[in-house]
Amino acid sequence: MTATMTEGGTLLVGSAERGPGFGAVLRAEWLKLRTVRSTWWTLVATFVLGAGLTVLLCWANADWLASADADESPGSFVTWGMMIAQITAVVLGALVVTTEYGTGMIRSSFAAVPARGRVLAAKSLLLVTVLFVVGTVTALAGYAGGNYFLDREGIGMALEGGVLRSMYGSGLYLAGIGLFTVAVGFLLRHTAGTISVVLALMLILGNMVNLVPGAFGDWLVKLMPGNAGSVISTPVPFNPDLLGPWTGFAVFAAETAVLLAAAYVVLRRRDA
Amino acid sequence: MIRAHALTKRFATGKGQTRVAVDGIDFVVEPGRVTGFLGPNGAGKSTTMRMILGLDAPTSGTVSVNGHRYAAAPAPLREIGALLDAHAIHPGRSARDHLRWMAASNGIPTTRVGEVLELVGLESVAGQRAGRYSLGMGQRLGIAAAMLGDPPVVVLDEPVNGLDPEGIRWVRTFARQLADEGRTVFISSHLMSEMALMADHLLVIGRGSILADCSMSDFMSDHAASYVRVKAPALADVENLLSGRGLDVTRVDDELRVVGLDAAAVGELAFRHGLMLHELTLVRSSLEDAFMALTADSVEYHAADASRGALR
Repeated sequence: MTATMTEGGTLLVGSAERGPGFGAVLRAEWLKLRTVRSTWWTLVATFVLGAGLTVLLCWANADWLASADADESPGSFVTWGMMIAQITAVVLGALVVTTEYGTGMIRSSFAAVPARGRVLAAKSLLLVTVLFVVGTVTALAGYAGGNYFLDREGIGMALEGGVLRSMYGSGLYLAGIGLFTVAVGFLLRHTAGTISVVLALMLILGNMVNLVPGAFGDWLVKLMPGNAGSVISTPVPFNPDLLGPWTGFAVFAAETAVLLAAAYVVLRRRDA
Repeated sequence: MIRAHALTKRFATGKGQTRVAVDGIDFVVEPGRVTGFLGPNGAGKSTTMRMILGLDAPTSGTVSVNGHRYAAAPAPLREIGALLDAHAIHPGRSARDHLRWMAASNGIPTTRVGEVLELVGLESVAGQRAGRYSLGMGQRLGIAAAMLGDPPVVVLDEPVNGLDPEGIRWVRTFARQLADEGRTVFISSHLMSEMALMADHLLVIGRGSILADCSMSDFMSDHAASYVRVKAPALADVENLLSGRGLDVTRVDDELRVVGLDAAAVGELAFRHGLMLHELTLVRSSLEDAFMALTADSVEYHAADASRGALR
């Protein structure tokens, strides 16, 4: 995310004579984002899966979590749906970029705005904002519903401390993962490829590295983008050996920034 | 005005090899007339057009629009309008929304969207998703997008592709009108017949090189000449007779090609001198033939010779 902000900043400076200003590009990208149905479907799916599955899991596990033989914390369940909702953030992040390549729209985009970095920055900024808001709202709705069932068993949690942090943490994580996917999308320029690569990295590879032995393996697990970034979205992570919420998110943000920088360099050099 | 200087584009074809798509071409596209950009498929037309628009970076050389590099324009759509291909549109977005984001990106007032929709006759279907459009409607939408910024330079890549005769006529009239308004109009096509009806000036490209850069009328008189073919048993006598009259006579194999006299006059002359003719034909080489001849060596992909049994 750091890279985007810096990029947006430097681009604004030179906007007087080099192509349309950032404000105009931002308005154009906002129109693009909200005038296709896929945006709305994906955001609705984010909410339904993210909030719905949290409520469902809390309802199903509340009495077990309250019992003596529970070996997990209720804090791991109160944002459970966000683990699935992250898939929709990946899909949205990919679609925002790769459908333009798939349909040839990208040529219209770069003919209208030759400063390609501005297109990348505007897309990133809008996606991050939308996913942060939708992610936080989804987490809050899931908490409200899920905590109702936990409360009935006497194990409810107040909206403070780690729980509160996990609410906007869910927004931050979805925004981050969307941005991560935007970068991959500009690099690969292909919808299915982008979604597969990111999901494989987050969901499959992130777990497979557990098989790597020794301290090296432990660190690999900690540093995988999905593992590092997701801790912030839950009050109590299932895996206690991961990095702390803010440390982990900083690692994830740095990884995303590197990927975005790579996307920016490639985007400028490559023919559209 | 569009000006290209030593414009070159090489593509990597893998294994460290490159293919030259555009080979150091120079040209100027002047305002106030329709310039046809003609060449067989794969000749470098689209690559050249993408370089004009800054979508592809030239390997070397420069191309400028209205005196500066395209990407340097504060509102590029007000400098040059382009139809690259009808599919440069998201199928799920309506025509109106497509034009709205384009307008927003260049600070063009939204009222202009309605104007260009009316200009191309799409107002009634502007709310429909572009994916449902026919090829012809897609082309019209592309032209509407090109006209959004009321640009002094208009570039249309194969605008009549997939259009019905009425649509083709519409594009032709439209291009003429733009040129009459003093705009620079640059239209590519691989169809000579289409260019003959549309263009004032012709830029012929083959294998990345400019083969001709002249007015349409010059091209016609240079390349689309007609002659009278004469075959006769006493060919040498006929040849002497005709060249004795100061006519332009060339002997090709067993025939004479006579320029400057029509077939009837050649026949009468031979008859009065008692010379028997076996053939007397007016051969008119079409612009299409002229174009084929000019680009024959530069066609990238020849169809396989059918007589060799590919269809057996």
